[in-house]
This record gives sequence, C-alpha cells and structure tokens, in this order.
Amino acid sequence: MVKEPRLFRIVLGTLVCGYVFMLVLWPVALVAQKTFEGGLDNIQTALQNPEVTHALLVTAKVAGLAVLINMVFGVTMSLLLVRSEFPGKRLVSALIDVPLSVSPVVVGFALVLVYNGLDGWFGPTLEANGLIVIFNTPGMVMATCFVALPLVIREVVPVLTEIGDDQEQAARSLGANGRQTFWRITLPSIKWAVVYGVVLSLARSIGEYGAVRIVGTNVAGDSQTATQYVTEAHNSPFPVDHAAAYTVSFILAAVAVLCIVVVSLLRPKEAAK
Amino acid sequence: MSIDIKGVNKLFGDFVALEDVNVTIPTGQLTALLGPSGGGKSTLLRIIAGLDSADSGSIEIEGVDATKLPPQKRNVGFVFQHYAAFKHMTVAKNVAFGLEIRKKSKAEVRDRVDELLKLVHLSQFAHRLPSQLSGGQRQRMALARALAVEPTVLLLDEPFGALDAKVRKELRDWLRRLHDEVHVTTIFVTHDQEEALEVADEIVVINEGRVEQKGTPDQLYDEPANNFVMGFLGEVTTLGGHLVRPHDIEITTDPISAGAEEGEVSRVLRIGFEVRLTVLTDDGEEVVVVLTRTHARSLGLDVGSHVWLAPAEGANTVLALDKAATSG
Repeated sequence: MVKEPRLFRIVLGTLVCGYVFMLVLWPVALVAQKTFEGGLDNIQTALQNPEVTHALLVTAKVAGLAVLINMVFGVTMSLLLVRSEFPGKRLVSALIDVPLSVSPVVVGFALVLVYNGLDGWFGPTLEANGLIVIFNTPGMVMATCFVALPLVIREVVPVLTEIGDDQEQAARSLGANGRQTFWRITLPSIKWAVVYGVVLSLARSIGEYGAVRIVGTNVAGDSQTATQYVTEAHNSPFPVDHAAAYTVSFILAAVAVLCIVVVSLLRPKEAAK
Repeated sequence: MSIDIKGVNKLFGDFVALEDVNVTIPTGQLTALLGPSGGGKSTLLRIIAGLDSADSGSIEIEGVDATKLPPQKRNVGFVFQHYAAFKHMTVAKNVAFGLEIRKKSKAEVRDRVDELLKLVHLSQFAHRLPSQLSGGQRQRMALARALAVEPTVLLLDEPFGALDAKVRKELRDWLRRLHDEVHVTTIFVTHDQEEALEVADEIVVINEGRVEQKGTPDQLYDEPANNFVMGFLGEVTTLGGHLVRPHDIEITTDPISAGAEEGEVSRVLRIGFEVRLTVLTDDGEEVVVVLTRTHARSLGLDVGSHVWLAPAEGANTVLALDKAATSG
C-alpha cells in the first residue's frame, strides 16, 4: 500500500485524538476527578445518603428487568425473523430499529398516551384490573425496554443468519424436538451474541433518562432513578449534593465502561472460535 | 420394501422441483439419486427425511406412513453436504447427541460412541472440536453421528460434494465398504455419475423433477431408457444419427465393414494414456472418438488422416432424437 505523506498522517492523527479527547475523555475524566476530590470521602458520604442508594437500586431494578425482558424477547424475535416466514416480517424488521431513531422523550410520551389511566387508549382497562403502568414501575420498565429493544436483536440476527439452520436440522433428524434443539444447539451457537447484546442493553438501560423521566414520578427515595437523581442533585444549591451527583455519575459511567471492557474481552474469544 | 414414494409433487413458487415422483427404494441397499444440479434429487431426499414437506403424495418408510411425521419421529439419519457439525461440541459429544436425546444410560452411550468412532477411524480425535478436523474427518464424524441412532434409513445429501477430489475418492470407497459392514438402507444424492456407478447398488436418475430411469448401474449404462440417461451416465457422440460412447467406436484406416462412415481426422488431443480424436465425416457429423495412445500410434493417426468409423460390436447405441438432451 502506498503511504500518505508523513505530515498528513501526523495532522490526521492529532485531529482524531484531539476530537476524542475534547468530546469524550476530558469530560469523563473530570467527573472522575470531581468524584475523588478529597479521596474517598465523596463516595462514602454519597453512599450513606438513602436517596442515593435508593436511586441506584431503582435503576438496577428497572434496568435489570428491562434487560431480562429484552433478552427473552430479543432471542425469540431474532429466531422468528431469521427462521420463519410470516406476513409483515419486513415491517417488523423495520420497526425494531425505530427506538434507535426516535427520541426517548417521544417514546415516553407515546407510552403515556396509550397507557395512562385517565384517557389512555389501553390504560383505564389495565387500571380497572389493578395494573397501574404510567407513573409506576411497569411504565419505567416498558420505556427502558423500548429504547433498548434493537440491541439484542441486532446482535443475534446476523449470527443466526450466518450459522444457518443445518445444525438445527441435523439435531431434528437425530430425534431432538424443538425445545431440545433450541437449548442444546441454537442457544450455545448464539450465546456470545446474546451476551454481547445483553451487555449493550444493560449499558443503554442504566443510562436511560428521557423516557423514564416522562413515565416515572421522579420522587426521591421512591421512584427516582440514578440518572434522575444526578439531574436533581446537580441543580441543588448545596455543594454536598453536587458531590453526590459526581459520585453517582461516576458509578454509572464506571458500570458502562465495565460493560464495554467485558464485551471487548469477550469479542476476541468469539472470533477465535 | 423399505421406502415407498408415491405421487410426490413439490413446487417452490412457480418452480417445479418434483413432479409426480413414484419410486421404491429397496431395503438394505445403497441407492444413488443421480441427476444434474437443480433436478430435484436433494428435495426428494429432504422430503424423505421430513426436512421439507411434499405438496402432495405420500412417503412410506418400512411400511409406516411417514408423510405427516416430523423429522425426529422418522428414525432417519441425515448427513449434510457441509457436515452440519455441532461446532460447540467435541467429536464424541457430536456422535453421542442422538443417544443422549434418547435418554440412553451413560455407559451405553460411551460404549456406542467408542464403537462408532472406531468404525469411522476417529477414535483418537474423540475430544477434539469439529473445527480441528479436516473436511473428510468431519464428514466421517457426521456419518457416525447419523449411524449412532441406528436409523431405519441413512440419507446422505451430496456427502462428498465439499471435499477435494482425492479425499472424495477415498471416502467413496470407504462408504462402500462401510455399507457392506452395516447394511443399513442408504440413499445418497450425487451429481457425479462416476460416484454413483462405482458405489451404488441401485441408481435412480432424476432430472427436471422427474424420475428418468431406475436400475442397477449396469442396466443404466447398458440399457439407458433415453437420450438423457445415456448422456448423463457418460460421454456420448453422434455417429450415423445414433448416440454412441466415444470409446465404443471402431476406427480403421481401411474400409473394412460395409456400414462404416468415412471421414477425416480434424483434431487430435492427447490426455495421458488416451487420445481424443475429432473426426469430420463426409455426412457432416463431428464425431468424437477415444482410443488408447498405443492404438492411435499403431494406426498412425494424425490430423488429416482418412478414416472409417463404425460402432464397435456389442456397443450400445440410441437413436439421437433430441440433440439438446445429449449436450450435458
């Protein structure tokens, strides 16, 4: 390959590094720096604050449920999209990408329109049967599911397509029924794709703000999530709240970075297989 | 009778994959489904296995109507062209799969797997992953896996199609010997007429979704039912309006027999021990003649030689009705 002139490469490299530094590294590093100003004091203080721990727990619960639902639904949906033909398949495939392009705030509003208990399309019926969706945990989980919907499916579908159905057919011809084929053949073949999709979903779910802001109530110590706590604490006039905001931000970022690290450790393993 | 296929039709959209196929596959024999690519032979095999379903018609396996049975209830072993190895399992686990599904005891599974791996000469590879095996080894593993469940019928879909020529030939001999040992009713799909003639007890020639002819390799070769079968089983050329095999033409430099066609050698091609001549007859036919190099030398043949051609005594000839059918 013919190499570009040396000067050109240096300029290009500086530009790219500078861009990433200014946009990503510096701001995130500042959050870490603010968190550890004065050693571990900020973290200790923040973790003793029941509002903080509760907000983290709410996020963990909502994100955990959403990821679980997305995993089951995502794998099922991927199997349907790759292995079977049904009317409207192309439409479904296109719709799955909608959450990537629509603003989460719009998603929240859309859910409120359908499921609110006053004049929602479906909400009053559900509330009459004892299930309150909007301004309640189910709504927050739904909103999080919605925004993370494509992540598992977009990981699993290409892998399913690539491995083909030869192994599944072989299993069937050897006497395995559908359930046995799925657990023994299909799932082990796509497990890394599922793990990757789940990790991405997790990272996306814990960071969700807009959609949950609309469908949740944002009551501190009750339904407030970690991202919502950060916003509130950041707007507070007291410096101690600012420190807590940095700490929670740092924890959220750390979990997300950990997710990325886990994924990059998994990826080569998968490629070597 | 082992497998009875009656009135099977299959359409893929507008494409007729199988058209009123009626054929009976004998028990305990090695039967080849032979035909050109896209002729419907793989589709028929997959319908027998239950991996595809026929639009109409019925499949009977050992007297049991299997038409509506799902694949896992048919007790057939299926071997795929691209092995379909379970990539995340060791060789031994692959072979054990069908037995574990059938809830056999651990000891029984182990003994049977050992026995099968010995049969396919893979004992020393039991703990490897399929990705660590060569193509030929993978296909032998797939065969052991299919045999493990003691299938009523063993179905092989172009089993050697993805292998290189040398391994293909080895595995072909090996399959024949294996079948002589285990005697399971076996059907294999191939587009290679040499493979079918060499390995099979019975050959079913399938073309454009129809059965053209069924018989032993000798019957098919000696008494082809039509131009297509004659053309597909070996090279043919036209001499005096008849189809004849190029090596069944007697060539002389003197007009010996009365019915011989007169012509001139227009091209000479030497391939190893054989020589292929193209002779332009006075009637305007281009005839291909194959003879040994020694024979050609003894006759002193070269481009421009004046020769007489006649079908050899006892050679099969078929009246050439449709030139297009012989071009394959």
